[in-house]
Amino acid sequence: MKRLDLIFSERELDAIVKVLESAGVPGYTVMKHATGRGPETIVSEDMEFSGLGANAHVIVFCDDEIINKIRVNVRSILSYYGGVAYVSEATEL
Amino acid sequence: MEANLVLQNVLTPPVLFFFLGIVAVVLRSDLEIPAPLPKLFSLYLLLAIGFKGGMELEKSGFGGQVLPTVCSAIAMSLLIPLICFGILRLKLDVFNSAAIAAAYGSISAVTFITAESFLESQNIHFDGFMVAALALMESPAIIVGLLLVKIAGTKNRPDSREMKWSTIIRESLLNGSVYLLLGSLLIGFLTAAHNPIGVEKMQPFTGKLFYGAECFFLLDMGIVAAQRLPGLKKAGSFLIFFAVLIPLFNAFLGVFVAKALMLGPGNALLFAVLCASASYLAVPAAMRMTVPEAKASYYISTTLGLTFPFNIVIGIPLYMGLVNNIIPSAG
Repeated sequence: MKRLDLIFSERELDAIVKVLESAGVPGYTVMKHATGRGPETIVSEDMEFSGLGANAHVIVFCDDEIINKIRVNVRSILSYYGGVAYVSEATEL
Repeated sequence: MEANLVLQNVLTPPVLFFFLGIVAVVLRSDLEIPAPLPKLFSLYLLLAIGFKGGMELEKSGFGGQVLPTVCSAIAMSLLIPLICFGILRLKLDVFNSAAIAAAYGSISAVTFITAESFLESQNIHFDGFMVAALALMESPAIIVGLLLVKIAGTKNRPDSREMKWSTIIRESLLNGSVYLLLGSLLIGFLTAAHNPIGVEKMQPFTGKLFYGAECFFLLDMGIVAAQRLPGLKKAGSFLIFFAVLIPLFNAFLGVFVAKALMLGPGNALLFAVLCASASYLAVPAAMRMTVPEAKASYYISTTLGLTFPFNIVIGIPLYMGLVNNIIPSAG
């Protein structure tokens, strides 16, 4: 089982979720209003009123096969709009 | 005369609350407004000014100065981004130039309502149909900005990111703040025409609460503007000068157009403010989505960190002075 962590601007949440859904992930968790610091700037909620939003953190637990289906499309979105994605091993309790 | 107007403008509650927000950041106060509230207040302000504008538009009808003023406002929101783009291209790439140009071609609803408050404090009459101009100036500037990217920046973009017309129209017309403002304008118009009791029922919400909500929103804007000031260092001196000088130039243009339209002093000021203000609601969200190559720190720091405070503190009374000098009957 793999754990996929995605952190990107909330504005791209719909696009990312679409990729996850079409790859057939068994489920995912979305945490909005994620703040912190990116490579260039601090990400805060201060522009929330404008619709610019902060970051979203999406966590997915799935098999390798699904990760491979997701890989290209997620990379394409993140490389263009910014954001990070990391895959790690996950063991069920 | 202008110094007196500046003082009178500074000593109004919305502007004083704006300063309170700035000072909170400077003094590192722990004052913090939870993120959903400013969003709620910005939506409230858009709803209220749209609704009131629609009601006024129903009263005034589309005759007289209304149509020429609204058409001129749309023309200005098409022209200003082109002028800004030409200037910005001297130093910046296509993407940043187009995004900043779109922001300056579009309008700031909060600057507009601060100008309305200023006119009320001066007992200067203005017409509600100016809200129609406000509502219709947001989208054209976004379209021009995106077209500039499509025309001038296509060769620098991956093919997969070529913008489609549907994206351009969607982002410019269905952007949340544009949609709510236009929708509220229409609802205000229809309610005033067919349901006077509905108008009465809305009054406590869209009328009596408005001034307090404006003050609260400006408190938050003061905090955000002060937080955005360090971003100006990264933007550099060219953009700092641009953020102060271009509103003056645009206001100047606006006053001359208002003179040609034979607008009264109140409407002329609002027209100038619409031309001089820059968007930090609709445009950043649209540009972040469609032109991610542009640095958000540039178009947010300039519009929100500099142009917005400049306009609401000094700009509005300065433009009033300009109106009084250029439109003789206004003096």
